[in-house]
Amino acid sequence: MLTKLALGGIRSRFRDYAVLFSGLVISGAIFYMFMALATNSEFIAKNAPVTGANFIFMFGAILLAIITLVYIVYANTFLMSMRQRDYAMFIMLGAKSNKIGQLIFLETVLIGLMATAVGVIVGIGLTVVTANILMAQLHAPLIGFSGFYLPAVLSTFLFFIVLFVIAAFFNQRRLLKTPILQLLHADQTPNRIKQKRVWFVVQIIAAIVLLGIGYAAMIYIKVLQLLAIPLALVTIVAGTYFLFNSLFVGLVAVLKRRESFANKNIRMFTLSQLSFRIRDYTKILSVVAMLFALALGAITVGLGFNHQIPLMASSQSEYDVVLHNPSASLLTKADELTDTTKVTYSQKIVGEHVYYLDSQVQAHPLLIPKLTGLGQTTTKALDATAINKDDGSAAMTLNEFVPNAREVKTPKVIAAAEFATLEGQTNTIVTYRVPNFVQQYDLIKSLVAADNKANHVNTSIPVVNSKFTAYEVINGMFSGLEFMGFFLGLAFLAMLASTLMFKILSGAAYDKSRYLMLQKVGVRPRLLRKSIRQEIGALFLLPGLVGVVHVLFGLQLFRTMMADPYDRIWIPFTIFIVLYALYYGLTVWLYQSIVINKQLADQ
Amino acid sequence: MADQPVVVVDQVTKTYGKPNEKQYQALKGINLTVNKGEFVGIMGASGSGKTTLLNILSTLDAPTSGQVTINGQDVTKLRGNQLSDFRAKQIGFIFQDFNLLENLTARENITLPLSLQNVSARKARGVVDKIANTLGIKDVLGHYPTELSGGQKQRVAAARALVQEPAILFGDEPTGALDSTSARELLNTMETLNQEQGVSILLVTHDPFSASYAQRILFIKDGQIGQELVHGDKSQEEFYQEILSTLGTFQQ
Repeated sequence: MLTKLALGGIRSRFRDYAVLFSGLVISGAIFYMFMALATNSEFIAKNAPVTGANFIFMFGAILLAIITLVYIVYANTFLMSMRQRDYAMFIMLGAKSNKIGQLIFLETVLIGLMATAVGVIVGIGLTVVTANILMAQLHAPLIGFSGFYLPAVLSTFLFFIVLFVIAAFFNQRRLLKTPILQLLHADQTPNRIKQKRVWFVVQIIAAIVLLGIGYAAMIYIKVLQLLAIPLALVTIVAGTYFLFNSLFVGLVAVLKRRESFANKNIRMFTLSQLSFRIRDYTKILSVVAMLFALALGAITVGLGFNHQIPLMASSQSEYDVVLHNPSASLLTKADELTDTTKVTYSQKIVGEHVYYLDSQVQAHPLLIPKLTGLGQTTTKALDATAINKDDGSAAMTLNEFVPNAREVKTPKVIAAAEFATLEGQTNTIVTYRVPNFVQQYDLIKSLVAADNKANHVNTSIPVVNSKFTAYEVINGMFSGLEFMGFFLGLAFLAMLASTLMFKILSGAAYDKSRYLMLQKVGVRPRLLRKSIRQEIGALFLLPGLVGVVHVLFGLQLFRTMMADPYDRIWIPFTIFIVLYALYYGLTVWLYQSIVINKQLADQ
Repeated sequence: MADQPVVVVDQVTKTYGKPNEKQYQALKGINLTVNKGEFVGIMGASGSGKTTLLNILSTLDAPTSGQVTINGQDVTKLRGNQLSDFRAKQIGFIFQDFNLLENLTARENITLPLSLQNVSARKARGVVDKIANTLGIKDVLGHYPTELSGGQKQRVAAARALVQEPAILFGDEPTGALDSTSARELLNTMETLNQEQGVSILLVTHDPFSASYAQRILFIKDGQIGQELVHGDKSQEEFYQEILSTLGTFQQ
């Protein structure tokens, strides 16, 4: 009978359970996604040419486990807020408490198990989709990576079962130890939190000083070396916490005190909701801000490496494609390249030397890249004199002009008369330069392949002598890292946004009566919706803003590894913000559908 | 216009359940009138339909048939925002469980209806101070609802209901959650508001003592108005006894 009642309770609150359940599924799916990568040490070893990649993943796994834990705690609170009244009612009606205890235990574990099972399935799907998209985008062959990976399935199940059993014990204890009356009236919570002004000021100062130290540590990484990272981590985490605990609470208080601003429509209500929320939310907002920074940072750095690859490939050669004695059909195909600068040279190879025509080189000097900094090059044009005086460094780069080159030939520029007297056949070398190598990657790939075939180049012995081969080699090295950066970033984003969404939604049950009351006293539904949008908007925006600032400073850390960590930074930021905004929209929609009484609103 | 009744209920019925399901008729043709400045009580046992009637009067629910006119406006014709605005401007509510927003202070709670109409902050402050004075809650304006006693909370609720000077004040068992002293104080205050400020009040209750403050009492039973008692010149004690004896016979 009691089991029936309990199940009936679930049915009657189906939508709330749907929210809870889908949240748990998301967390399970993300945990699986991460585990599919983290437990696949073979893949990591192959794709991350950095020692300590395993360590990075362990660190990530621990971080994700902590977030998942926080998430489950919130989800559990949400579950309890829905169920405690029902259970208290059963106890009041005379149900034996150990029977109730069993029920709670069963309910919690069952929901957890079901959610994990669905989550793993969703996770496999997500992993396959994400991996395929990233593989296509990054031209990265992810050897040894698969959507379904048994150790990941097992570890996900193990982790979640342990968490839910703990949660079940916790719930059971809580329900059975709390007096019935308190359970029945759990939603009438008093709340006036007093804060001493001195402590408030101390916290603001602490926040500013700590963040300042943290940011400075990241900027002066060259001086501080490895010490910078732990220093920044500790100070920024603490600083973020103080920031939320003081500055934002203070900001809302100031707005509330400005009567002409606050006494308009239901702004006072929105602000009050916020001021109570923010105190309650300080920890979660700090965590979210930090995760936001980590996730966005991971994606930005991943993308940074992605931009880095063509730059590094450019330091190999100034020419995107070099064709050797191309056939007419290959030339026609090459004309499909857009925005090209096409130059044709004649060439004769005699012994150790490769000869070019003076007139052609004078008209179009040969170009080589000149290193100016980390991964940064400028174009250096070589005229006849420069080439003839070369000490051998240009020869190396220009060797890609030599068909099927196996050794370096020294370039010489000579007059047409002399060129004509040389023995040997005249090669026609056609060079192409395009503004964006990656954009025309597929065509370039097929051109290079055709050219290699025509010149009988043995590609099984790779020689890095063109931009394309350089790109392939560097991409092979870095794409694994990029992939991990993207993957981690997206997983963290989904997790943190879900956590925030849950924390907000778990309060919705309590807010229901408040919004009903406002509807009764004649607040327009449109105003209520606006108030909800603003309130949740602030809760999403604040950690987001702080996270963005953290990342902007945090990118300083990568100045030693990348030419310009801030290059095209708007791309990851846009991707990230769009996804984050989607979560915001979803939260608002769910929240509104929970707290706004449809019947009254639609009258 | 002065003689226009504040509330006119004309042949109102309310049926629950869809036509093809089992139906239940909660109200079976109610007619009643509240005149300007009147204090009317509605009594009835649980399930008599008094809550349904109050919900319809307060525009929280729509009647199946019939008409409800408040301050000259047919409320059954209002939709959406008009309805919200009508509730905000014309109707004041006091509920049994106070229905205060516990994350706002007493002053902020009372100011809310004024803010909705974008009354300037300075003007609102004056109006709130005045009504708080009348209701004797001036000293607790800065407190949150959880820091107030039941009686104080209900006064704050009354202040919030009255601050925009509605056409009528509806009370839904406002003394239901109060101790006898607080209940008596609240009723005295309501009587004073009615007599001195001319506030029209419609009080729904099943408590005979609360009802004895009304000038006129309508008894509702099984969805219909069965009997009417008029206070007239009788003392409150006599009226109270009359209510008790009426209840005794009426319920049978």
